[in-house]
Order: sequence, then structure tokens, then C-alpha cells
Amino acid sequence: MLALEHVGKTYPNGTEALADITFAVRPGEILAIVGGSGCGKSTLLRAIGGLDRPSTGRILLDGTPIVAPHEKIGIIFQEPRLLPWLSIADNVGFGLGGLAAAERKERIAEALARVGLSDKARAWPRELSGGQAQRAAIARALVPGPQVLLLDEPFSALDAFTRNDLQDHLLDLWSGARPTLVVVTHDVEEAIVLADRIMVMRPRPGRIFTQIAADLPRPRDRQSEDFEELKKQVLQALNRSMERDRARDHAEATRTREIRPAL
Amino acid sequence: MSIVHPNALVDQPAANPKLRPAAWSRFARPALGLLLPLVVAVGWELAVRLGLSNGRLVPPPSVIYATFRELAAAGDLQRHTLVTVERVALGFAFGVGIGTLAGAVTGYWASARRVLDPTVQALRAIPSIAWVPLFILWLGIFEMSKVTLIAVGVFFPVYLGVMGAVISVDRKIVEVGRAFRLNGLQMVCRILLPAVLPSYVIALRSGLSLGWMFVVAAEFMGASEGLGFLLVDGQQLGKPAQILTAIVAFAILGKLTDWLIVGLAAPFLRWEDRFARDEEH
Repeated sequence: MLALEHVGKTYPNGTEALADITFAVRPGEILAIVGGSGCGKSTLLRAIGGLDRPSTGRILLDGTPIVAPHEKIGIIFQEPRLLPWLSIADNVGFGLGGLAAAERKERIAEALARVGLSDKARAWPRELSGGQAQRAAIARALVPGPQVLLLDEPFSALDAFTRNDLQDHLLDLWSGARPTLVVVTHDVEEAIVLADRIMVMRPRPGRIFTQIAADLPRPRDRQSEDFEELKKQVLQALNRSMERDRARDHAEATRTREIRPAL
Repeated sequence: MSIVHPNALVDQPAANPKLRPAAWSRFARPALGLLLPLVVAVGWELAVRLGLSNGRLVPPPSVIYATFRELAAAGDLQRHTLVTVERVALGFAFGVGIGTLAGAVTGYWASARRVLDPTVQALRAIPSIAWVPLFILWLGIFEMSKVTLIAVGVFFPVYLGVMGAVISVDRKIVEVGRAFRLNGLQMVCRILLPAVLPSYVIALRSGLSLGWMFVVAAEFMGASEGLGFLLVDGQQLGKPAQILTAIVAFAILGKLTDWLIVGLAAPFLRWEDRFARDEEH
């Protein structure tokens, strides 16, 4: 189980990005984190991935504190970040150190087949479309068999059609080994399609605003009434999460206006 | 001006692209680069043969070729070439070795960069030839001072190229390495080295061209062998054909060694997503 205890992050320049984040994710659960820009959702994900250290609090995977990238935690970034000098097969096998060549080859072929890129095994990354490259990145993250998979706005750079396609594809892949997924997204629809639970964050500093259960039956129909209903609910929560911030902005703006005549 | 019936345009067979056999692009395009030197060479040869010039100071190609063969037949050309190539090879090896190491260290560790780079940049501002008297005093007139001068010339472009390349390795790619828990050595071998390879090849090529430049300077400062010696010797004995022969030899060697680097690196750079992929140098 992945658990966060009072996680906070303050940058050296004094900016407080996260404050007092506490939550847990069950094994096999899909958690979506949504929030306005600057609410620290990517910072949070990077902390879970061990890429950045939190300033306060602890992140635990099955009781072990995460202080550096962990072998049981995989990360998928917004960009595919394939290594341009490796073929697609070698990119997918990048995390498979210390395996016998034959087994490595087999696992790569299997992963490529699962993301539908078998025919691209020997291609260079530059020869792939955006959607194919992101599929290869997903395969690369899945190949070592992670217990937790972190996704940082994984499909936001893709067109709407490819995005839907890859969301379904991700669920397909997930349904096999059922790793825990933590998906950061600014796309409410994406959150509802994927998640069992949607965590709404509010900015300055990033805190948990509210959590909404998304217990629609799978596969989820993006056109259904329940889907629309849930979407409305999440959007409302998202709006309210930013209200306080907006009110503060407004107050600041008013104050400046009041000062100006005096100058 | 004639009036063309609209249909006349439409009726043209569509499938008549300009005939362009593969052979054209394969051989004729590189050959295009030979056109200008050939025209100049043939033109000058004709000018001398027709008596428009005596060709004493600028010997025609036929005379240069004759000198070339003469020197080659006596074994002089080979001897001088070998000596020069040896000096360049040694100087290049030292320059590349030290430049790569220093560039990698300063590129990787910001603190090393703060300490080392200002000094290196200050040294770089000194025209390298200015070191010659000092090198001769320190290292003597023979091989050591020459090789050192060449190594100094090669060092700077390699150092700069490697440092710049290491600094500009994409942070996002390095993060992939971190996410997969690569240790320091793996990070260097699996991420940093391949990432800097394209810039490294360019740095090696500029280093090599400086190596050829500096071997001439080194051989000017008192050598009894080498292509640079042939140049000085030709000047002192008033033999322009010998000077031009040595110059042609330098041109051939420079181009050959440059091709060697490009050719050796090519298999490792096939992945590059390059502008103008099919235009080779």
C-alpha cells in the first residue's frame, strides 16, 4: 500500500508547493489527482516517484520510506522521453537490467505486442507518432512489473482521439497485473474514465481539497448520464477549490487599486 | 502569346515527373563539388600551355603532379608524410584525451566548472602559437615540443565541445535514467555518452583540423622532416611546385582523416533526427 503522511514541500526560495498531504492508495486502486495549475500535483507525483524529496512528512510503500526512485514504482511522464539513440525495443527494455538476453528479449516482445507496437521494434523513436511514442513509454514503465505506476498528465500532449484511445488502452493494460495507478491530470473527463477515486487539490500551497469516489461500472461510457453527473460534481469541486484562491487574487488586486491613487 | 485551350492543360498526362534516375543523386551530386576545382586546374594548365603565363610562381597541375611523383619515387614524400602523420596522431591523441576528460568533468560538476573553466578560457584567449618559444625552451627543439603544441591546439575545441555537450544534455532524459535507478557509471554509459556523441564527433573534427593546422606551425619552427619542412624547404630553395605538392598532401590527409572520423562515427549516429539528413559533407 502507498501511503503519504503529512507530506509538505517548500522550495529553497520559500515557495510552499505542498502542505500537509495525507492519503493512502490501496493496491490496484486507480487514483486521479486533479487541480488547477500550480496546485502542486506534479510536485506531489515527483515526490512519490522519489525524484524530489519532500521537505516534511513521509511517503511509504508497504511501510518502506521512499527517498529515491524505487524499483517497484514506475513513472510515465507527460512526454514519452524515449532515448533517441535506442531502438523502440531497447527503449522498452531499458529498465530490464540484469536479465538473461533471451528472457529480456521475450519480455520486450511481449510488452511491445501488448501495446500494439510489435512492428516498430526496430524503429527509432523519431519514426513514431506521438501516440505510438507514448505507448512505447507506457510499455517501458510496465515491463519491470511495477507495483505502483505514476502518470504525470500522460496524454495531455495528444489529440482528443488518440487520448481516448490511449486511456482505454491503459485500462486494458492495467486490468492484467492491476498495479496501483496514480494519475495526475487536468482533464476531468480523463480522471473519470480512469479513476476509482478522484482527489481534487487546491493551490497555494497545494493541499487536498476533497476526494470524490468514482464508482461507475467499467468500461465507462463517456456519454452516459452518470458520467455527465459525476463530471459536473468534479467540475464544481474544482471550481470551489480555486475560489478561495481567486478571492485572494481579487483582494490583492483591489488593494493595489486602492494604493495606486495615493502614489 | 498564344491562347491555350483549358483542356489542353488538363489533358496533359499527369504521370510525367522529371526523369531522375537514382544514379544521378548517387554520383553526380558529389561530383558537382569537383566541378570548380577541375575547371580552375584545367584553365590554369591551358593558360600555361598557351603561353599566357610562364607558370614559374604558380606551377600548372602537370608540374605539381610531376613533382609529386618525383618526391614519391624517391621515397621522400612518404617519409615526410609519415613523420607529420605521426606528430598529428600523437598530439591529437593527447589533446583529445585530456580535452575529453576535462570537458566531461567541468560539464558534469558545476563546482569543477567554476574552478577550472575561467582558467581554461583565459588560456584559450592566448594564441597557441605564442607558446612555441616557451615549449622549445621547456621541451627542446625535437618531437616533444611539436607534439605538445599540436595537443594544445586540439585540446581547446574538444574541451569546449564536450563541456557544452554535457551541460546541454536534456534534463528530462537524465531524469529517465534516475527513474530507472541508474548509478553514476551507468548514467554516464547509458545516457550521457550517447547523448553527447553527435557533438563529440563535431568537436573531434574541429580538433583534428586544428591539429593539422598546428603541425604546420610546429614544423615551421625547426624541423628536418615532415610536410611542413617540405613547405619551408620549397620556399628557401624557390621551388613552388614542392610547396604546392605539400599543400595538396595536407589537403588530402586532412580530408581523409576527417572522413575517417565521420565514417567511424556514422554507425553510432543513425538515430539522429537531423535537418538535411541526406546532405553529406
